Amino acid sequence: MTRRLLVILAAVALLAGACTGDDDEGSPTGETPSGPVTLTFWHGYTDAEADSLNALLDQWNAENPDISIEPLFVNNDKALQKLTVALQGGEPPDITYQYGSSLPQLAAAPGLVDLTEWTQQPDVDWEDFVAGAREAATFEDKVLGVPALIDNLAVVYNKELFDAAGLEYPNDQWTWDDFRAAAAALTDPAEKRFGFSYPMDASEDSVWHYDPLLWQNGGSILTEDNSQAAFNSPEGVEALEVLTGMAVEDESVFLDLQNSPYTGLFNSGKIGMLVTGPWDLSSFPDVDYGVEILPGFDGDHQTIAGPDMWTVFDNGGGRAQAALDFIAWLTAADQMKADALATGHLPFRLSVIEDAAFVEEFGATIPGVDVFAENLANVEQARPVLAAYPQVSEAMGLAIVSAMLGEKDAQTALDDAAAEANDALALGG
Amino acid sequence: MKRFRRFLVSDHAAGWAFILPSVILIVVFGVIPIVWGLILSFQKAGLISPEREWVGLQNYTQIASDPKARQAAVNTIYYTALFVPISILASLFIAHALNRKIAFVRFYRLAVFIPVVTSTIATGIMFLWLFDRNYGLANWLLGRVGLGPFGFFEEPSQAMIALVLMTVWGWLGFDTIIYLAALQGVPQELIEAAAIDGASRWSSFWRVTWPMLGPATLLLVVWSTISALQLFDEVFFVTKGGPLGRTSVVVFYVYRLAFEQGLGGLSLAGYAAAIAYVLFLVILVLTLAQFWLGRRVVHYAS
Repeated sequence: MTRRLLVILAAVALLAGACTGDDDEGSPTGETPSGPVTLTFWHGYTDAEADSLNALLDQWNAENPDISIEPLFVNNDKALQKLTVALQGGEPPDITYQYGSSLPQLAAAPGLVDLTEWTQQPDVDWEDFVAGAREAATFEDKVLGVPALIDNLAVVYNKELFDAAGLEYPNDQWTWDDFRAAAAALTDPAEKRFGFSYPMDASEDSVWHYDPLLWQNGGSILTEDNSQAAFNSPEGVEALEVLTGMAVEDESVFLDLQNSPYTGLFNSGKIGMLVTGPWDLSSFPDVDYGVEILPGFDGDHQTIAGPDMWTVFDNGGGRAQAALDFIAWLTAADQMKADALATGHLPFRLSVIEDAAFVEEFGATIPGVDVFAENLANVEQARPVLAAYPQVSEAMGLAIVSAMLGEKDAQTALDDAAAEANDALALGG
Repeated sequence: MKRFRRFLVSDHAAGWAFILPSVILIVVFGVIPIVWGLILSFQKAGLISPEREWVGLQNYTQIASDPKARQAAVNTIYYTALFVPISILASLFIAHALNRKIAFVRFYRLAVFIPVVTSTIATGIMFLWLFDRNYGLANWLLGRVGLGPFGFFEEPSQAMIALVLMTVWGWLGFDTIIYLAALQGVPQELIEAAAIDGASRWSSFWRVTWPMLGPATLLLVVWSTISALQLFDEVFFVTKGGPLGRTSVVVFYVYRLAFEQGLGGLSLAGYAAAIAYVLFLVILVLTLAQFWLGRRVVHYAS
């Protein structure tokens, strides 16, 4: 009801802005800290994820008395907003967790460290990161982040519901028609049970659930030079019609406007199948679930990855160098293994993925997590990394939601969104 | 120096000392943002990038041709037109019901006021479940009498109405307390005199009580209109402007432009500030008009 939040955000932003004025230009200075430093470190991990991270931090702080890391919890969904406020104050954190999609916006931030040179150092072993993660960290030929976490989408299904309906479990040869038929068969209006659930908040989450269908069917989000929308192609329309067919004709989809009840509903056996990532698996203790790679179009089963980043800000006095030393350690193979075993986070260094003994141990931690780990190999494309992407994403999100609500047919919805996306692309490049 | 010493011992100094904490807060969280916003509204500026470019009135002229700004304006007017009369009539009714000697009246008054002090987030979570299309209590009850199921927040045509219901529930207690206080200020002898003159309870309410409530009603109309035009929290948390932008109100649109989309290369913070300033002017004019109208129709007891 009030505009309190807005006023406080704005006020903090500019109060801090009024107090300081020094802007360091954002490239690594090469200087090393002259004495012990304490680095601020923002992350969005909770529960088991936070325990694992804190254990690693304790280890680092014990071994490196000169560079101590002070963690601060910042909700991932609002990390960019909070960073904006800190930047206005001229005091960004030394290291912060950010979504990969925020990089184009952050590129203009004063003090953001360009990591391109740093990645050439042998101890970083940059080429050891999977290709998709390296690409997502790069904007306009500059490396601006270090991969922190990589997810991908796969099918998570409730085995008991499949057994009760007399259906075969999903397999790696499934088509989207098979998926649709299973969803319809699992749906039971009397029991308020749905075959599938879809995030309907028109956010990027609504969009990236659609992207793999688009790509599998041979479509793409933008034209090759990123100048025009391409998702309203016949391939894109056909891909969206899979979803609208389920949502509008079959009514087999729980339309999750809030994009949060679905975990609880799946865990209570009210939803048969989800397309989701490994982060949700720990929310399903009551369900005997299975994990399978995405269904495909014409045998193409590619998926999408959502890489998140550690970004580094230069606060002078050699702090940036200290931050980079820490990040190199945090993302090195040993730490990645320890964290993966404790949390189920997918490893994304080739040397770790190819370590058979480790992969076996990893698969035993949380059921199904090994399928997600292997599914990283099915990541073939990345979303465009450009400044106008938030607008493109918003237009697509609205199109998908309006089509799935039956407000517009798939073609009209995507055409309208393409017009809007083209305006944004012309404006922001 | 002498003058300064004289100031220190004067009443002024004590007065300033007492109000200094609030003055500082108002300047820091009120005056500075207002001035900053005004400057920003004439610039093409993002919040992350330090680059600023003066563009004169361009941000303001841009508003007229922005369909999303128009949608947000229409949504805001729609919300205000529903919220203000409903909350005022409902609270008047409840205040009247609570302004009598019945058992447990204090408990009922407390119950009516509790939503006001409940956090918006808690209210939001509760209504999301109450109004859930498939599993909500509201649809279950309506289903018993053969209605629904309704989509509420999920249905583009119903989301705003659901939002009105939720916010009316949340703010009813505040309006009710104001009316209750006003009702208790109505002199009993006037009601009795009207009764002796043969007025029915209905006409005694409309001819005696209602005019005496004029100042309270004016206050509530002005207050509710301002807060309705500035609706943000509930939209931010519950509907996020959806479905399909049907609950995207002006302040929410401003937030999205400035803090979600305007951070980087597109530099929309200045444009967002311009919209915020237009909203400010609209509220200012509307409030002045309400007070002007109020002076002509409201009866102030002498």
